[in-house]
Amino acid sequence: MNIENTQSQMRKGILEFCILSVIRRGEAYPSDIVEEMKAANLNILEGTLYPLLTRLKNAEMLTYRWVESNSGPPRKYFSLTPKGEAFYGELEATWNELANAVHALTQKI
Amino acid sequence: MKKIININFHSRVIPIEETAYEILQQYIDSLRLYFAHEEGRDEIISDIENRFSELFAENLKKGAACITDGDVNAIITSMGRPEEFEGEEAGTTADTGARASAGAGPAPGYTAGASQQSYTNAPEEPRRLYRAANDKVLGGVCAGLANYLRLDPAVVRILFVLISFGWGFGFLLYIILWIVLPTRALVANARKRLYRNSDDRVIAGVASGLAAYFHIDVWIPRLIFALPMILGIFTSIFQNVFFHMFHWGGHIFFDGFGGSLFVVYIVLWIVLPEAITASEKLEMRGEKVDLESIKNTVKSDLETFKGRAKEMGAEMGERMQQMGQQMGQQIRQSAQSFGTEAGAAVRKSNNGIGHAIGVLFKAFFLLIAGLIAFSLIIALTAVAFSTDGLLDLKHYILDGFWQNFLAWSSFALFLVLPVVALLTWLIRRITGMRSRKHYLGYVFATLWVIGLISFIVLVGMVMSNFRVRQHSEEEIALSQPSHGSMVIHAQQPTGRIYDDDWWFEGDWRHHGPFYNISDDSILLTTVQVKLLKSDDSSYHVRILRISRGNSSGSAMDHARQIVFPVSQSDSILLLAGGFPVSKDQKFRNQQVIVAVYIPIGKKIMIDRSVNHYEWFNLNPNNRHFHWEKWDSQWHDDDTWDEGSNMDNSYYWNSNVQYIMTSDGLSRVGEDRPEKTERPEKKERPEKKEREEAPEKSQPDNNGYRYKAPEKPARKTNADTPAAKSTTMLMVRRSSQFILLSTLCNTL
Repeated sequence: MNIENTQSQMRKGILEFCILSVIRRGEAYPSDIVEEMKAANLNILEGTLYPLLTRLKNAEMLTYRWVESNSGPPRKYFSLTPKGEAFYGELEATWNELANAVHALTQKI
Repeated sequence: MKKIININFHSRVIPIEETAYEILQQYIDSLRLYFAHEEGRDEIISDIENRFSELFAENLKKGAACITDGDVNAIITSMGRPEEFEGEEAGTTADTGARASAGAGPAPGYTAGASQQSYTNAPEEPRRLYRAANDKVLGGVCAGLANYLRLDPAVVRILFVLISFGWGFGFLLYIILWIVLPTRALVANARKRLYRNSDDRVIAGVASGLAAYFHIDVWIPRLIFALPMILGIFTSIFQNVFFHMFHWGGHIFFDGFGGSLFVVYIVLWIVLPEAITASEKLEMRGEKVDLESIKNTVKSDLETFKGRAKEMGAEMGERMQQMGQQMGQQIRQSAQSFGTEAGAAVRKSNNGIGHAIGVLFKAFFLLIAGLIAFSLIIALTAVAFSTDGLLDLKHYILDGFWQNFLAWSSFALFLVLPVVALLTWLIRRITGMRSRKHYLGYVFATLWVIGLISFIVLVGMVMSNFRVRQHSEEEIALSQPSHGSMVIHAQQPTGRIYDDDWWFEGDWRHHGPFYNISDDSILLTTVQVKLLKSDDSSYHVRILRISRGNSSGSAMDHARQIVFPVSQSDSILLLAGGFPVSKDQKFRNQQVIVAVYIPIGKKIMIDRSVNHYEWFNLNPNNRHFHWEKWDSQWHDDDTWDEGSNMDNSYYWNSNVQYIMTSDGLSRVGEDRPEKTERPEKKERPEKKEREEAPEKSQPDNNGYRYKAPEKPARKTNADTPAAKSTTMLMVRRSSQFILLSTLCNTL
């Protein structure tokens, strides 16, 4: 059993949830998402983020619009679709259940 | 010290160190590979590139002069290398979608599902038949089928094309499937794919793609494709050249095997995608597509590119490189933006029907160009080969060292060399050898020009040997036949017919003027019998020996050398079958005219045996060698039809007896005047003035005898009357002379 593997499995499950939660608060630019997650001490590589965003977008959880930037070409800003909203709601519920369960289990002694 | 290049990177102009650029390129390629099985691959990479470009721009804004290796590496570190990425490597929309609909499923199931996800790239998808949205020529039906059957799309496409061509219902099937099947972005699941190899190509890289696929040397498929053409050249030489010289043509291309291979090539050209990216090149060879191998491929690509660029000169190379990159970027970008907007990943190399039409056009033009080149080869080979036939006769025509020398040099350089050069070029193209010696072409060209010049000089020299025409004349002592009639016979030539050779065929042998009597002499039968009215009461026979030469003296010499014995036994006059010309004597278009003078009231008959004489006249004075038929003077050209005349001639000829009247010849037993008859060409009963003329004038020489002596102007130039009055170019099967005159005409 590889510790790193287990860790990454654990992270993997919550990455989407976290990203969606950041976007839910308002339109977000990928690098902003990275910054925000970093600030919360949850490091994510941009190389991981972009594919995730694209996948979510293709699953119609996310949508984006081009926003003109003052430097260079327009940027993609992502926001949640109603479907994504519902998806997030379910993830949130699951997370709360999980968190409670884990908390309950780990704090028991 | 590092070179800096400018790249147009997502609408930003970025000055970047060349090495940094390479690092970037490799990184992007590795991403491309990593996301190869991802639906939104292009979009993801575009996003990442965009981010790169943004960060580059920030760096530059901060005052950096250019992007360095360090900058790129720093960004890559923050982006993460593919092997550091976390997430669903093989995550597909199916997975995401499934999870989405499953929603907050029971936790154990979820974790179980997650732990099952391995790091392999094999997508676990239910196999269903779709049309491929991302890999299509027309509607993506073939790629979809291939995906379903786990085959190379190319194989399915080829089968489809063959079925469509063969039976037609393939096309219908395609349309139906196009309508019925849902579309879907599909991941190619064949490990090895057929591509066209754009790095090593003669026409479209089909052959080298096949070679890469089957791991064979590239010349093998090339030879297979080219073999029918090469074979076609040779078969056409042996079968078609000599007697259908003007009928050979495109059919070789479409003949059986060769034709189908040609079609196969075109089909492959349309069907196979070009291997452009590193991973495609690896797929083409069936090599394992992983980070290391892709890195190597990219590296070797860059190296060869760099090498080439260096060869072309650093400056130029750099500019080209830049241009290429910018263009590539722009194409990619536009493809990407189109892709994102349309929400579908469209592969840039396959724009469907436009590609097919483009290929068909290209193939059409190549076919035309190919046909022209091909015709050229065949024509040259044909000329070279038939000239080889002429070489047998060269001893009779050529005189002296220089003419022989020129004949050989023009044969070798002017005729054979181009064939050799073309074949060499073809073989080099097939085997993929690139000539580094550019001077070879110049050498070929120079030698060919030398050949051309020597050919022209040779023709000039040879023609000058035929410049002047002279004749000598002699009266045969005749004892008057007792019955008042005379029969003219000719001996049959005994020698082997000269042209009884593999390269001659057909009628030629019956009409040819050459008979071979020994190794170093030929028998000429350019003999004519002319019947004329005698002005006294006895028969006379005059033999006129004519020859050409470069001066009047040499022409006369040649004429005097003609040996043409005539013997008589009472009423029978026996002419020689022909006259020999030896190699020393040379062929100078020697001719013999036997003029028979018939007194009024006496009869004459010409035996059929005389028919084997074949008259022709080479006249260089019109700047062409003309094959002239003497007889045409005595026939009205309008109605003269060779075939029917021949039939008639036999009838008239076979021992038809004529009687000389004061009006001219007429058939014995008929009152019809001579005019209405169609005299056979050999027999040639008179035109009146013609006959009377010689008798009257006739002292000696000094003129051409049978031309009206009252026009002395004509006499001085012996050739012109013949040339002017009898310019009939014989278009007979006599290929050698046709060839000769064609050659002269083209010059």
